[in-house]
Amino acid sequence: MKRFGTMPAALLAALTLLLALLLPAAAELSFPPLSGRVVDAAGILDAATTASLDSKLAAHEAKNGDQLVVATVPSLQGTSVEDYANQLFRHWQLGQAKINNGVLLLVAPNDRKVRIEVGYGLEGVLTDAVAATIISTVLVPAFRAGDFPGGAAKGADAILEILNLDPEEAARRASAAGAVEGPILGLMRDQWLVVFFLVVMAVFWIVVFVRIFLRPPGKRLVRTPDGRMIIWPAGISRGNPRSSWSSSSRSSSGGFSGGGGSSGGGGASGSW
Amino acid sequence: MRQAVSIPAGTGSATRMVAALLALFMGLALAGCGVNAIPTAEERAKAAWSDVLNQYQRRSELIPNLVETVKGYAAQEKDVLTSVIEARAKATSVKVDASTITDPAAFQQFQQAQSQLSGALGRLIAVSEAYPDLKSNQSFLALQSQIEGTENRIAVARRDYIEAVRVYNTELKTFPGSLWAATLHRGYQPMQNFTIADDQMKPPQVKFN
Repeated sequence: MKRFGTMPAALLAALTLLLALLLPAAAELSFPPLSGRVVDAAGILDAATTASLDSKLAAHEAKNGDQLVVATVPSLQGTSVEDYANQLFRHWQLGQAKINNGVLLLVAPNDRKVRIEVGYGLEGVLTDAVAATIISTVLVPAFRAGDFPGGAAKGADAILEILNLDPEEAARRASAAGAVEGPILGLMRDQWLVVFFLVVMAVFWIVVFVRIFLRPPGKRLVRTPDGRMIIWPAGISRGNPRSSWSSSSRSSSGGFSGGGGSSGGGGASGSW
Repeated sequence: MRQAVSIPAGTGSATRMVAALLALFMGLALAGCGVNAIPTAEERAKAAWSDVLNQYQRRSELIPNLVETVKGYAAQEKDVLTSVIEARAKATSVKVDASTITDPAAFQQFQQAQSQLSGALGRLIAVSEAYPDLKSNQSFLALQSQIEGTENRIAVARRDYIEAVRVYNTELKTFPGSLWAATLHRGYQPMQNFTIADDQMKPPQVKFN
């Protein structure tokens, strides 16, 4: 009884601690929104380059499923280009979930840094050495000459060329991407899983209730715990779960978004 | 509950039903109040740890090739080369198993050996800058980018591990996880986390001489 008085205080302390731990969990870096396949937050690309890059990247994604995004940022906010690129990649979730086929070409003109960040799934195709070669032979020379639009376009071309190098491999990736993406009879794959689960649950409960209340025909009278007898009306089956489900609203408003992919820090970086 | 048990034998199936429902309800209630949170967080932290080990292993495998390549052009840098070989041998000799992450001494040893290797490797890359032939060698460039890429993967894997361990240790120490840690999950130990070595905390000094 005496302990009882101290309990709420301890509980309050624990809850406060939990809250305090949860609050500063917000990201320290701020990222530009993923407005399209070309995010020119630093404002170094012209409209024509942006448009042609965007259509090229969209065409590649439609064909192979690989999600390549070109981003420029005004500042790395005090961290290294590797760290910033990795966190930005994960924030945008480039590439499809599970197969992680995203690539981020990040340019930080004011820090004079560039990085190709490669998702887990493409590390075998766009290796560190290949990414380093693209940076040192294509990107850095152009950026050194001050040609940001040309450098970004040529760099993206070089990356796409590598991703298309092995047609068989590219086709395999495309089919893997299609398996994740395509809706089947109007529902996404995980929505079908929900339907399947609900059907299994419904069947289970129907079987259970049928066994309990219908098996011995004479035992329609059920004794309640306090000894009263109640009559179970035959017409009402209580084991009929609602077959509706709350559909997860998927954002398919035509805008561009990451597919849930992640990166473990593959790729290469350079400076000029 | 006592009333349900006292039901005459004739309604045994209903009793069983009630018991089954109760078991189901208790299962859901237990899951709802976080009995699974500690094992879940532990598995996540263990997965992050194996990724850390994986990346260190990958770096270790790249080193012999790098050493051979550098030797071909800069054999006179004997000190640096042997220090890399020795540090690698030392790092690979550190025994790592499942208990390493909960054992402060073993974890410290692992971390120290790996950071020594990082230092030696950094010096090797730095002295390589003085040899133009080596710097333009294609296989050296490829190896260098692979080493750099692996160092970066190590950094990412370490960051993920640090976060996973933070979540796991917090779950052990805070309510309601602390209740489970004191009762049902008594065997779960807090995990060790990476610390930044003192020499790495100091800002780099610029010397003019």
